[in-house]
Amino acid sequence: MIRFSNASVTYPNGVSAMKDLDLEIADGEFVVIVGLSGAGKSTLIRAVNGLVPLTSGELNVNGHDVHALNRAGLRDLRSDIGMIFQGFNLVDRTTVLKNVLMGRLHEVPTWRTLIGKYPQADIDIAARALARVEIIEKTYTRASDLSGGQRQRVGIARALAQDPSIILADEPVASLDPPTSHVVMRYLQQICRELGITTIVNLHFLDLATTYADRIIGLRDGVLVFDGPGSECDDTVFESIYGRSLTADDTMTKHGAL
Amino acid sequence: MTTLDDAPPPVLPAKPGVSTFAVGGALIAAALTIVTARSVGFSLSEIITNFTRKNSPAEGLLHPDWGQIWSRRSRTAFIETLQLAVIGTAIGATSALPLALWSTTFGNPNRWLRMLVRSCNNVIRSIPDLLWALLFVTAVGIGALSGLLALFFFSLAVTTKLTSDTLDGIDMGPIEAANASGASLTQMLRTAVVPQILPSYTSFVLYNFELNLRASAVLGLVGAGGIGQRIEFFRGAGRWEELWGLVFMFFLVVFIVERISVTLRRRLI
Repeated sequence: MIRFSNASVTYPNGVSAMKDLDLEIADGEFVVIVGLSGAGKSTLIRAVNGLVPLTSGELNVNGHDVHALNRAGLRDLRSDIGMIFQGFNLVDRTTVLKNVLMGRLHEVPTWRTLIGKYPQADIDIAARALARVEIIEKTYTRASDLSGGQRQRVGIARALAQDPSIILADEPVASLDPPTSHVVMRYLQQICRELGITTIVNLHFLDLATTYADRIIGLRDGVLVFDGPGSECDDTVFESIYGRSLTADDTMTKHGAL
Repeated sequence: MTTLDDAPPPVLPAKPGVSTFAVGGALIAAALTIVTARSVGFSLSEIITNFTRKNSPAEGLLHPDWGQIWSRRSRTAFIETLQLAVIGTAIGATSALPLALWSTTFGNPNRWLRMLVRSCNNVIRSIPDLLWALLFVTAVGIGALSGLLALFFFSLAVTTKLTSDTLDGIDMGPIEAANASGASLTQMLRTAVVPQILPSYTSFVLYNFELNLRASAVLGLVGAGGIGQRIEFFRGAGRWEELWGLVFMFFLVVFIVERISVTLRRRLI
């Protein structure tokens, strides 16, 4: 379970990206966070695994007070939280398998990492993760030789290889075309439902959000302005989140048709 | 429809004047050149008279002793030079990788430790190869060991510098991914950073080997072993024919090694 209480984040440059947030996310939920760019979506997601520290308030993840964790404790927590990125964040020069094995680093001794010799058990886990996103035939392909959609599937496989209880996805489809975006969103939804992994996804396309989310959280200027099931979310709600009327750029179908 | 040509040309903003900084810099550079040339007593005519004057080193250049190329002692000296270059590069460049990684913000989160590593790198870099050789000849005596130590520090300096510059330009995304997965610092560097710089790093190591081979000729002049020591021996004895033969052979070896290295490096990047 993830619980923010009275949590705030102010960056050193004075930007306040999270203001007095109170939020509880139960195990196994599929939550989509929407909001304009700069509304604090990435900050919220990165706070969960401690990449962005809170400046005040409390955050409890799976029973751990994130703020109180030392470096080793933070690494333990992070190993239980998979992360998926907008820019995929793969090492382009290495193989798909090596990239997915990055998800096993926490379990593998450092000396093995240094010589690049991973235990068979960890390679098996990586293979299962690759099979789940149906890209196992690319195991020994260099990441740079993949298409955008394939890369993001490798990104998902890397997160899955951690065997996490939470997956964070920061704008996972922002660099993809509409059909590929749906493929990636379906994988995320499937993983959440079948494996019971709590999934938090940042999106800026509203139609994608309503299609896949069990629960939508709306942020505006770092403040939570909406929290409810995807079915309750209509254009008026979104206009209140965005603070302006909707345009074609806000939905993927209309955007894609342009 | 108006084309681009039909439209009246827009008025361009005022052209910026020549910067006083550039003019001042050029004047200072010219003045410095003249002042230094005068103070070291530079004279073109003297160079020409010195060249045309009959002298034995230049005479020797016309009749190099090719026999030197095959002589046993020269061969031994050459092998020592190659060994020095290989071992110096191997140890020096290997130690350079962690030093370069620890001098970056992502590779060394501790500010004071990072400053320490950086200042160490700077000090090592500011000392030229010949000075290292002199230092070690004084410290551990004449011979190949001082040459090896000099080349070690020289390799360390060169490879650390080049690798650090490459590290500035890497993709930070994989680093974030590794950190988010709970990897330790060493694991992150090994899996997210090293694969990105490996081709450039390998190329730097090869380049460093070329530099070391050339440097080893000079190191011998101060008694740090290798072919340079034999060159210095012939020079001291005034045996110019033999000296030139040796120099030609050295030139040949360096040329061949460089060709191989350049070909290899081209395939890497």
